[in-house]
Amino acid sequence: MSQAPGSTAGGETPAVELKGITKAFGDVLAVDDLNLVIDENRFFAVIGPSGCGKTTTLRMIGGFEDPTSGVIRLHGEDVTGTKAYQRPVNTVFQSYALFPHLTVFENVAFGLRRQKVADGDTARRVNEMLDLVQLGHAAKRKPRQLSGGQQQRVALARALVNHPRVLLLDEPLGALDLKLRKEMQIELKRIQQEVGITFIHVTHDQEEAMTMADSIAVMNKGKIERMGEPAEIYDDPRTPFVASFLGASNLMDGKVTSSSGAVRLADGTEMRVAAGGLQEGADIRLGVRPEKIQLGATAEDLRTTNRVAGRVTDASFIGISTHYLVDAGQLGELAVVVQNIGAARFPAGSDVVMGWEPGHCFVVQPV
Amino acid sequence: MTIEAVSAAERRRRRVPYLLMAPGLLWLFLFYVVPMSQLVITSLQEGSLERGYRFTGDLSNYLAVFTTYRGQLFNSLLFAFAATVIGLAISYPLAYAIAFHTGRWKSLFLMLLLMPFLVPFLLRTLAWRIILADQGTVVGIIKTLGLLPEDGRLLSTAWAVVAGLVYNYLAFITLPIYVSLDKIDRSLLEAANDLYASPFTAFRKVTWPLSLPGVISGTLLTFIPAAGDYVNVELLGNPPNSMMGNVIQNKFLVVIDYPAAAAISFTLMALIVTLVVIYVRRVGTEELLT
Repeated sequence: MSQAPGSTAGGETPAVELKGITKAFGDVLAVDDLNLVIDENRFFAVIGPSGCGKTTTLRMIGGFEDPTSGVIRLHGEDVTGTKAYQRPVNTVFQSYALFPHLTVFENVAFGLRRQKVADGDTARRVNEMLDLVQLGHAAKRKPRQLSGGQQQRVALARALVNHPRVLLLDEPLGALDLKLRKEMQIELKRIQQEVGITFIHVTHDQEEAMTMADSIAVMNKGKIERMGEPAEIYDDPRTPFVASFLGASNLMDGKVTSSSGAVRLADGTEMRVAAGGLQEGADIRLGVRPEKIQLGATAEDLRTTNRVAGRVTDASFIGISTHYLVDAGQLGELAVVVQNIGAARFPAGSDVVMGWEPGHCFVVQPV
Repeated sequence: MTIEAVSAAERRRRRVPYLLMAPGLLWLFLFYVVPMSQLVITSLQEGSLERGYRFTGDLSNYLAVFTTYRGQLFNSLLFAFAATVIGLAISYPLAYAIAFHTGRWKSLFLMLLLMPFLVPFLLRTLAWRIILADQGTVVGIIKTLGLLPEDGRLLSTAWAVVAGLVYNYLAFITLPIYVSLDKIDRSLLEAANDLYASPFTAFRKVTWPLSLPGVISGTLLTFIPAAGDYVNVELLGNPPNSMMGNVIQNKFLVVIDYPAAAAISFTLMALIVTLVVIYVRRVGTEELLT
């Protein structure tokens, strides 16, 4: 697997290193020969559909599951086989898992008390942490007296107060409503920058991952399909799975006609492509993001020579943009998103021309 | 909708809980409040079945519990306490194992636990006479191990009574503990482990406090009936092991001294209620139970 922005080429010891990690549950391979290097101070997101092995990976880093084979290193130290309570990592659980019989203060103090931190220090650190998550006033309450968002912040404080080397977050925002989730995304990012701890965030919400993370790993069937900075993998997803999981994509079958960047689509249209590494004669799929497609009544309306014709089958106006579905014959139905900046609207049934810049499309290998 | 209509609907809604409680309240009134009042009145009377009873307000029957029947009272509390402690020691690990380690066989184990209760109470207790019999295997083994002298026996001793009590109330202590253990969210234990608690510390700081409501109801369900039990002594003990239950049974059914029987019943009940209140307060579960 290739090196990605999440990893270092050398020098500094990475925060987390997974080498050849495999986890089997009976006959099922949850995680399949996974290699991953995550640097210090990163906000790293692991995304993928349910059952892709992302939570299992997180649980192995946390020490809740033992890998069937492979090595886990935290800051260079081999921790494979050690128990959760022996590892300098803390977890924010999906269900928060706050202790119902303890106050907010005692919940947050739990880890410090186990490490025999002096009472004075414990009180100071717990109060500081509660202030950081803006819950200083709720210290004496029981978890059930708090709202979902507040419970989530207690869970975060309870983990962070221990100054873990790595913080693991297992879908921590999944139970919150949309508005609160957006707020907490910004909040989490702020806290991560403030405390300077490596966050590993597992989620199935690609938008959430892109909002917060410096690097993203996209997992599918127990393997990492693509890893990199959000913009980088959005613009060049490389595999059909990543292209469709991370944002929406239009994928069209084609064949490379020139390694310098020409592709013939299934309907015979020649397209210029800016992607490198093309092999002449190779079967590929050409991908374009819906918002990168230009739409016009005639070819003269477009600012590119990469063009295909089609007929609008559906147009839905949603305020900041209009979403079209355009039937492009042999190429299938393409999704197009056009910003509402005074451009002409095309009702269903209109004949249109679509086009995109050579730099705005990407090439994926067919599965 | 007018304001009157709203308040009429509101009034109807407020009546619902009382209507729902009515059958239970009626039952309690007829079969608890009425007999209890009669018990108190009877306890303050004097006389006999032949000569008739007369209200005298005499309190001497109440004092008898602490004087004449001091030994039986002591036996009652001691045996019930021993049965509760031993029962807890047996049932907690049992409930824990069923809740945490039996996986899909859970219901099978719960059924096995309840199986003995398909056999009537008396039969079960009689069976213990055979198990603990002087010529029986159990006594033989214990003697071989040197834990009992050659002429020692188990039947007709306090041990047999306590063993019978433990056995007869085991399900009542195990089930509440099982329920409170079973509903503990497993991620709480992972969270404790994550926060540097070893499995033992996680048990002490999370599992045990969260199972306390079950421990309290289980121990109460054992202690209260055990303190008033008389069948186990009757079948497994001998006269020196008599408990308050035997005294009450004797007064009511053999001697037919209703005032004394009533006074002793009432005192025993008041004593148990006091102990229970102190116990529940001390363990401080009010917060846990809400």
